[in-house]
Amino acid sequence: MSHAHAVDRALVVVSFKRRLAYKSQWALGLALGGGSMLIAMAMWHNLLGSGTLAGYDWDSMRAYTIIGFVAATMVFGAADFQMADRILDGHIAVDLTKPVDFQRARAAEYIGSMISTAPTAVAGVLGAWLLFDPPGPATPLAGALTAVSFALVFPLAFGITYLSVLVCFWTKRYLGVMWLREALLSFFSGLMIPLAFMPGWLQTLAWALPFPHFTTTPAVIYLGRVDTAGALGLIAAEAAWAVGLWFLGRLVFRHAVKKVTVHGG
Amino acid sequence: MPILEARSLTKNFRRPDKASGFKGAVTHLMQRKYKNYTAVNGIDLSIEAGESVAYVGPNGAGKSTTVKLLTGILKPSEGTVRVMGRDPHAERIANAHDIGVLFGQRTQLWWDLPVEESLKLLKHMYGVSDADYRARIARFDALLDLGEFMPALARTLSLGQRMRADLACALIHDPKMVYLDEPTIGLDISVKDRLRAFLREMADDGTTLLLTSHDLADIEEVCERIVVIDKGAIAYDGPIRQLKAHYITTKTVHLFLEGPADVPVLAEKFPDYDWAAGEAPSEVVVTYESNRFTTAEVLGSLTSRLAPRDLSLSEPSIEDVIRRLYAGELTE
Repeated sequence: MSHAHAVDRALVVVSFKRRLAYKSQWALGLALGGGSMLIAMAMWHNLLGSGTLAGYDWDSMRAYTIIGFVAATMVFGAADFQMADRILDGHIAVDLTKPVDFQRARAAEYIGSMISTAPTAVAGVLGAWLLFDPPGPATPLAGALTAVSFALVFPLAFGITYLSVLVCFWTKRYLGVMWLREALLSFFSGLMIPLAFMPGWLQTLAWALPFPHFTTTPAVIYLGRVDTAGALGLIAAEAAWAVGLWFLGRLVFRHAVKKVTVHGG
Repeated sequence: MPILEARSLTKNFRRPDKASGFKGAVTHLMQRKYKNYTAVNGIDLSIEAGESVAYVGPNGAGKSTTVKLLTGILKPSEGTVRVMGRDPHAERIANAHDIGVLFGQRTQLWWDLPVEESLKLLKHMYGVSDADYRARIARFDALLDLGEFMPALARTLSLGQRMRADLACALIHDPKMVYLDEPTIGLDISVKDRLRAFLREMADDGTTLLLTSHDLADIEEVCERIVVIDKGAIAYDGPIRQLKAHYITTKTVHLFLEGPADVPVLAEKFPDYDWAAGEAPSEVVVTYESNRFTTAEVLGSLTSRLAPRDLSLSEPSIEDVIRRLYAGELTE
């Protein structure tokens, strides 16, 4: 294992342990995420009954809602504030004296915090499985590709979060940026309502953004709403976003770091 | 070749120019105005390997900004810095391997983890071998008593413990060049003493040190050279010894007489000295030039002719000199 990988792993582990220190966060994540999932289930059950809407029936909607819950738990439970706070309170000065690539270190920490949401996600999915008995993946291959698409959520979520955190160098505030990001993500990922329910132009707009890969991509692969070639295309697009945002992050940081103005002490 | 060399180092910042109150806030929203100010103004600084340099100045003089420029955190607006031949901002990661930094006001410990975990993470970051890590931790433990709080969560440490742990973090990779920005701020006297002893040992071992502090005892005990900065520019750069010899040219005797002191009469009697009234009616303060008169001469003439009840002798401290340098009363 190279030195850089050892540092990555150490940062992932440390970030995971830091989240472990706050066990109530898991319980809260489960209560909030699980609660939202239950509300969504009740709403879709009421809305769909025995019919279908834009190709979704109650059966597929149960699986869709659970997939949305997993994506939301991974993304909303991660440590974005930790990253933003260090820029805003000047601790970035300390980070910049360390012999590690700033972005890579933040990515390792962020992914560690995403991994720490696993207990919440697993408990929520198990509970939902027992309560709602959703259908399995369309095919075993679709199941495997769904897992690949979920794996890509890690770098993708980091890319979007990191860019939004870097905006703090200019705005000097994070809350508004976070709200905007979360609103865009909730809406354009299909987490609130499936993109298929939206008018064509809005769907086109959504697919021009990275957000659909948080719920819609794994859901449509899982449910077999796209064939294998379509699934691979979506995964390629998701990977391309992850890579593109990584390099965009590098570019923005190069400018942002010139804006570091840590006053006093 | 110097280990650190800064030439015409300058840093300008932009600050919002906002009037106070609601009106000021609204006006600033409509019409943003900024003021440029220069935090560091054309500093030339050269430090040889093994030197221990104190970098002092009043609040807002530009000390911390200089440290951030020298460590690569900030990009200079003008001028150059070279640390071991590298540009610390452009070659930040390579530079970071060779330097150790302590910001007294910002911890580098991971707040919600035991101290030991922070140190282990830094061990990975700097690629410190297991054997070196163990040896250094043992040394820090002997000098700083780390053992007692290694398993404690960083957020539960007292300020003194936190600073000791932070110092270990800054030095775990045995850096060649160490920057300490107010390492004793807020510490009690016993922790300060321990920290100073540790820093002195480091300096004696040949580590190059740049220390900023408002506590001049830190400086006198640890450093040989002092750089005084004021309003972003260097006001003095030289050995501490020389600063004292150059500027501390007077000494003071406080005399306590039997009756009330009559200053004009005394001044007439001893025209070579400066006379001033003391705090008590019977107290009088005599100042004399230490290069013209020896203390024995002065005390001899005063005691034989005035027969004071008591007396005390004081010498201006480095603190007085620096206070006068800040006030612009002294020039090089």
